[in-house]
Amino acid sequence: MTGTVIPSAARSAESRDLHLRHGERVDVTARTADCPNCGATIEFRWSSAVQTVCPYCKAVLVRRDLDLEKVGMVSDLPPTSSPIQLGTEGRWQEDGFVVVGRIVYRYDRGGWNEWYLRTMRGGSAWLSDAQGDLAISAPATSGIALPAANALQVGQSYAIDDTLFRVASLTRARYAGIEGELPFESWNRDEALFADLDTDGNGDTLRFATIDYSDGSPVAYVGTYVELDQLAARNLRRIEGW
Amino acid sequence: MSAPTVTSLSCPQCGAAIELRTLDQALSVVCSSCGSILDARDPNLHVLQEFQARQKFTPQIPLGTRGTLKGEKWEVVGYQVRGITVDGTTYYWDEYLLFNPYKGFRYLTQYDGHWNDVQVLKAAPAEQMTGRQPYVTLHDEKFKHFQTATAETYFVLGEFPWQVRVGDTAVTRDFVAPPRMLSEEQTPEETTWSLGTYMPAAQIWTAFGLPGKPPHARGVYANQPDAYMPLAGSMAKRYLLFVAVIAALILIRLVTASRETVFATNSAFFKPGAPADSLAFVTPTFTVSGRTANLEVTTEAQVDNGWAYFEYALVNEATGTTYEFGREVSYYYGRDSDGAWSEGSRRDRAVLPSVPPGQYFLRVAPEAQVPTSFLEYRIIVRRDVPTLTPYLICLALLALPPIFVALRAWGMESARWKESDYAPSGDDDDDE
Amino acid sequence: MKHPIYTTFGALLIALLVAAEVRGWTAMRPTEVKNIPRSIRDNPGAYRPHYRTFFGSGHYMRGK
Repeated sequence: MTGTVIPSAARSAESRDLHLRHGERVDVTARTADCPNCGATIEFRWSSAVQTVCPYCKAVLVRRDLDLEKVGMVSDLPPTSSPIQLGTEGRWQEDGFVVVGRIVYRYDRGGWNEWYLRTMRGGSAWLSDAQGDLAISAPATSGIALPAANALQVGQSYAIDDTLFRVASLTRARYAGIEGELPFESWNRDEALFADLDTDGNGDTLRFATIDYSDGSPVAYVGTYVELDQLAARNLRRIEGW
Repeated sequence: MSAPTVTSLSCPQCGAAIELRTLDQALSVVCSSCGSILDARDPNLHVLQEFQARQKFTPQIPLGTRGTLKGEKWEVVGYQVRGITVDGTTYYWDEYLLFNPYKGFRYLTQYDGHWNDVQVLKAAPAEQMTGRQPYVTLHDEKFKHFQTATAETYFVLGEFPWQVRVGDTAVTRDFVAPPRMLSEEQTPEETTWSLGTYMPAAQIWTAFGLPGKPPHARGVYANQPDAYMPLAGSMAKRYLLFVAVIAALILIRLVTASRETVFATNSAFFKPGAPADSLAFVTPTFTVSGRTANLEVTTEAQVDNGWAYFEYALVNEATGTTYEFGREVSYYYGRDSDGAWSEGSRRDRAVLPSVPPGQYFLRVAPEAQVPTSFLEYRIIVRRDVPTLTPYLICLALLALPPIFVALRAWGMESARWKESDYAPSGDDDDDE
Repeated sequence: MKHPIYTTFGALLIALLVAAEVRGWTAMRPTEVKNIPRSIRDNPGAYRPHYRTFFGSGHYMRGK
């Protein structure tokens, strides 16, 4: 009865401002553009998307203001039994959100989805989804000194956002696919290291933290395990037979 | 985006069709035809382990069966038979993997007819105390250590969200707080904690619409809920209430009993050897007053290594109704190798029931066999004396039901812990 | 009310107990005989009890 410990999410440095290659800040409000590969009209759910995948021809497209540049192709993602899909909407912590993008990860003992959420208030979060276990996390707000990748050890404790977390596991995962709109250029990434940290549960909310080393320097995220019912989710994937 | 279809793949060993129910969440899948364990992530389904089980088992809930537990729909997607070996005997149990795409995974375990609903915990229990009997705490509930053993996987069917192999072992530790149980599983890769809740077999049969009746559960399972312990506790409380009531009644009786001495002889003597008829006498008439109540007749005789027998008749002077009874007083004593000894008593107390008020006298015929030639004696008659016996009988009778229930509870707990590492005989423990 | 059977059983037993105490019931069962003549006062030695079994040692010394 071996289960998997919830693995962490790979994200880029969300806390950094979104910059285009030439140093210009993003200030785009247009919602549609044409795919340079197949010509299909792509609608953006998130006005500031840096990267997106054409849902029709699977071309990975990077945005240069209103123009899209094809930088690669992704293969079809394998069919998933996850109830979450692009366009799923819900509510979390009195804020509405919509799922705009997805990263699929694989590691030696399985895989998981990281869904990228944009909220009504203009913020963002990640919804990780593994074997029916859902968790929402966002970048840690208080700045702390995080260890370098080679200094990490299971059992060490770090204070993140005023809570003491303990390193529970280290995972090396690789990108197995992407979908939708993402806040970074990521299509050619290989392996990334994540540290999963837990804390003593108090009451029913179980919090966790993640340190993401996919960009080289560590970024910390803090999250909470949730049930699908708690998110008041709409526009879920229709799963055949369920 | 289109809704995904169930992927159709074929087994590389035997070509049979493989159906994945959990789609991207399965890591290994067992070919139902040849039993090979295949890598579910690989589009070619390469073989992880060829069929190796020594024995085939049939799940009681067939794979693919859907049922409703706690209002949620679940489908059986995997089946494992695992076991522990103690003193050369292997004890097998079943594990059923349940899946719901909106809820994730859940397990049902079955052993000897006992079922458990198990969920994997995301974090280890908060506290752990080591010592003679270690325990862990979760949400302020204390779980006592029940057993540590090494579990081996003997048979697999269906699909799993991890890489399963026949022959896999894990060190398991179980902690119980009936009806719940916390189990820890340790493999070289990771440690997982799960919370199990005991479920009556009938509930499983109803949930999955299984035919017939579930097999009878044998013995008491580790986290089987206590049927009798709570009952024993509340019955004991009810008994204490009865004790309080009876104690109050005793107090009232002690206070209200009149204990009026209605007749007493001064010290009198008789010659034991004289003819019996000549020894008989009648007392003066005395008044027995108040409501119908008991009458105590105390006989005291200074017998020394002998006995005296008093034949009494209490006669109601007005009605002629007579109560006849005989009382014996005997007392023996001496010294032997163990020291001084004595037997009997020089005083006898007889309590006559329900004597109506009126004028009475006693007709007494004494006889005795004593070493002395004269026997000194006294007779005292008292009205309405308190006696403790009825209260004690009442307390004893009222104690029977709670004692009976407590014995059942103790029997059940005994049977439960007999299967643990803490069994009284203690010779079949596993490594600890 | 919890344990209705046990409580009822206990209540009845206690009621029985109270009745016994009020009525003066005891465990003893003396032989009750009616209409003993007053002549017993004059000749107590001639009186013969009406029970056959004897308590105590079982010795019974008859006259003569």
